[in-house]
Amino acid sequence: MIKIENLVKRYGNIVALDHFNLEIEEGEIFGLLGPNGSGKTTAINCMLALLKYDRGSIRIMGREMTPDNYDVKRQIGIVMQDVAVFDELNVHDNIDYFCSLYIKDKNKRKELVEDAIRFVGLEDYRKTYPKKLSGGLLRRLNIACGIAHKPRLIILDEPTVAVDPQSRNKILEGICELNRQGSTIVYTSHYMEEVEQICTRIAIMDHGRSIAVGTKEELKSMIKTGETVTIEAVILDQEDLTDIGNLPHVFDVRYEEQRLIVRCTGAKHNLIHILGILQEKDIPFGRVFSELPTLNDVFLEITGKQLRN
Amino acid sequence: MREMIKYSFLAKIRDFSLVFWPLIFPFVLATAMYFSIGQMEEADFETVRAAVVVKQNAEEDVFSDYLSELEKDDSGLISIQEMSESKAAGALADGEIEGIYYSGDTPVLTVDGSGFPQSILQMILESYLEGKQTLEDIARLHPEGMEAAVRQMADYSYVTEEVSLGGRTTNTTAQFFYALIGMSCLYGCFIGFRSVMELQANLSALAARRCVSPVHRMQWILSETAVSFGIHFVNMLLLLAYMKYILRLEFTGTYAGMLPVICIGSLIGVTMGMFITSIGKMGEGVKIGIMIGVSMTLSFLAGLMNADIKNVVDRNAPLLNRLNPAALISDALYCLNVYDAPERYIQDLVILSVMCVLLLAGTFVIIRRERYDSI
Repeated sequence: MIKIENLVKRYGNIVALDHFNLEIEEGEIFGLLGPNGSGKTTAINCMLALLKYDRGSIRIMGREMTPDNYDVKRQIGIVMQDVAVFDELNVHDNIDYFCSLYIKDKNKRKELVEDAIRFVGLEDYRKTYPKKLSGGLLRRLNIACGIAHKPRLIILDEPTVAVDPQSRNKILEGICELNRQGSTIVYTSHYMEEVEQICTRIAIMDHGRSIAVGTKEELKSMIKTGETVTIEAVILDQEDLTDIGNLPHVFDVRYEEQRLIVRCTGAKHNLIHILGILQEKDIPFGRVFSELPTLNDVFLEITGKQLRN
Repeated sequence: MREMIKYSFLAKIRDFSLVFWPLIFPFVLATAMYFSIGQMEEADFETVRAAVVVKQNAEEDVFSDYLSELEKDDSGLISIQEMSESKAAGALADGEIEGIYYSGDTPVLTVDGSGFPQSILQMILESYLEGKQTLEDIARLHPEGMEAAVRQMADYSYVTEEVSLGGRTTNTTAQFFYALIGMSCLYGCFIGFRSVMELQANLSALAARRCVSPVHRMQWILSETAVSFGIHFVNMLLLLAYMKYILRLEFTGTYAGMLPVICIGSLIGVTMGMFITSIGKMGEGVKIGIMIGVSMTLSFLAGLMNADIKNVVDRNAPLLNRLNPAALISDALYCLNVYDAPERYIQDLVILSVMCVLLLAGTFVIIRRERYDSI
């Protein structure tokens, strides 16, 4: 569906995309995950032929993507990071307007507009103007304007920024439904939970490069961390930390503000072994957590920094 | 295309800033001017008083006869008194008269100050000198036509009618309203501004969304220009109707003749706004500031705030007013209603049309590109 090879985009001296490569298959929900400024939106704008780039090639649906490639554009739906609707048109007219740019047949368009309104749950707001909508409803309208013409490829650029949890869930469910209906989805976000929840494959981006690509399971298997154990309100000395560090499967021990954080490779009984040492030394402790690795751990281990930096 | 135009039209007429600046603001300004300056038809033109000092040795004083004929005309344009040189100087110093003509082979005018009466006296003298020069040229080049020319020159009523200096149309009030129409035309820039803001993907998210749709760039530009122009032309028709039917301002020229002026004027306002907006990546506020600044400056130079400014610019930097769209619109209306100068009227329209084409071409060259360096 999309093939990007060695894409380079510079803003003056700043390299926004540094030999960026990407391949997305038809039918996927593909997540582009990365912190702010990692190049996600720049990559999207290059894909849409809005931005000039310095080097590389972008092919969508097997064809070179250019501004006048209207056949391809007709099959793409875009949901911008910023809400892009007319404040002066009501919900129905906004959707009808954007749909009319793709669909000329009036009767067909009427059906599609109604479908889109139902899809995003704005049936009660047909005649409402965008300024009267809450942030979440406005985002839903933004999505409806991008998907009403039922495109084969839908690109959503951080569609859930500043959205309440209820609307966020509705949006995420909707994206999965669009995918079930046959659309390929490209979803950018810096919320790892969202990407983990809906994406079939994920590319992690940093400094304009794709640093890891795969399913979430594949990404997690790329790192050493299999489990992170956290124990609160514990008082330890250096000898205790050394003993814990010597346990099998433990490869990183940190002790900060009476919190013990132990990272282990994937194995059973890590928590039991750590608690065994504390019990043996009669060391009291508070709450205990055991977490499986997240995409943030993947990002942390590969780049050495938190995803939300 | 039909939906593009329909929704673009609806969006624009529901945008308060696009209704306020190009439509409501000129209405408010016209009303304020109407009450503060007075109605054009009621404007009381004061007869200009002047003295003529006749040289003792002048055998045939054509200039004095010319002035006498003007005085007899029922326009009440001037009142002439024959005086001695010293008495005339005293009357001028006391403010009893606005100027002194010294007749002779080459008459001269002395005034004590500047203003509308002095300008009229100056125009009368220039008319005479031009006529005299014409006669001399005919005598030199076509002596056979001399008799007919003298006959026509002697027909002073012809001169006064063609110059159209008589009657109510000479008042400066009209110039304010013409400048107001000029300014209102330029305020179409706000509509043009919005059109371009919604066409350049590097200026707004809405524009980016439109740019990724499968609609040809030229189709966008043409539909947006057509909608913006259509809206502003209707704005101007409403303003003209308001002046005619509500304020009951009486322009002596034909309203049909004013339509081409406001038609091209509306287009130049819209294209000016499109051009300014298409330049650079300044913020929305900065671009609006530039547009207000440009349109107000051009309107000021066209005589919106002070009617004398246009005359001052005409005298000192005439090219400036020939390139100032507000001044050209005002001038075209003045030509139509006061000067009765169809050639100059046509010339104004031609210059305005050329400007429209240049601004539109400039805008097109800038916004036709479809990929941007940054967004």
